[in-house]
Amino acid sequence: MSEATTTLPAAPEHPPFLQHHYRAMGQQFDAGKIGMWLFLVTEVLLFGGLFVGYAIMHAKHPAAFFEAHHQLSRTLGTVNTVVLLVSSFTMVLAVWSAQTSKRKLLILFLTLTLLCAATFMVVKGFEYHHKFAEGLLPGNFYTHRGDTVPGQFMFFSFYFMMTGLHGIHVLCGMGAISWLLRRAIRGHFSSAYYNPVDLVGLYWHLVDMVWIYLFPLLYLIS
Amino acid sequence: MEHITVGQHAAAHSHPITGPPTYALVLLALLTLTALTVTAAGINFGPYNMVIALVIATVKASLVALFFMHLRHDKFSAVIFLTGLLFLALFLIFTLFDINTRTPLFPDNLKEPVKEFPGAPLNKPVQPSTGAAPAGS
Repeated sequence: MSEATTTLPAAPEHPPFLQHHYRAMGQQFDAGKIGMWLFLVTEVLLFGGLFVGYAIMHAKHPAAFFEAHHQLSRTLGTVNTVVLLVSSFTMVLAVWSAQTSKRKLLILFLTLTLLCAATFMVVKGFEYHHKFAEGLLPGNFYTHRGDTVPGQFMFFSFYFMMTGLHGIHVLCGMGAISWLLRRAIRGHFSSAYYNPVDLVGLYWHLVDMVWIYLFPLLYLIS
Repeated sequence: MEHITVGQHAAAHSHPITGPPTYALVLLALLTLTALTVTAAGINFGPYNMVIALVIATVKASLVALFFMHLRHDKFSAVIFLTGLLFLALFLIFTLFDINTRTPLFPDNLKEPVKEFPGAPLNKPVQPSTGAAPAGS
């Protein structure tokens, strides 16, 4: 019996990050990718509900939405758009660094992405603070006075639900990027294994894509 | 034993790796389009302002999807994503078809946030509260 075990051919080297239920790294990569894209589709539909609600209410009350959007700072909105686009750029460079096994660059680009995300949230925090101070709160909490068009509170219900849900996604992204950063510092990622960087990158770009639509819908009404 | 090699190099190495110069160009295009959409919002194109803003946003989103999310090299994921967008389009289009057949959710002369909905029947227009007698009474 012991002879049988000793005469078995030597098992091929097991890649350190290959999970036991996958046959090969490529299969693991493909499965992760499909899973992430399916998740992104559910995200699109989650935000989709808010976008459809926005489309209906904006179509029915264009004057109220137009008047209400003057309360938003176009400058801060534009700054945040640029910050988020740059963060997408640094994220894709992080993925490239992982693909080409450049550990130091990967750490650098992940840190830059995290800083951009933090900047976005700080700017958003200032914007929210201004809205709170003015009583521009969603639904029943709306206490702003001096509206010239009825129904302006509706705009702020959408503003807070859409940017709030988006902000939660940015915070989750920051958590995921911090996790990547920790693993990158430990040297886990290389051209042989970078699935997590790639998948978090996809998620981060979707968050960016949602903002690409939120920006004109909320800040640039004409 | 062929099955062991299935998918071994399928995803990780079958596509050329896009380099930083391409990504930098895409970022430049995205920033230019952002400047363009902010500028366009300052000009009055009448009803086309929203259309222009959404077209620019869609071009930006496509650049992000094709380059940053690598969809131009990843047909399979692109099909998954486009299927999702198809259902979003169905959701949006059929809902928008419907809204023009509905009466307003509350009167146009409303001054305060809605605390209670008037509860008017959906098949009759809501009477404006100007004291005018309802038609037919």
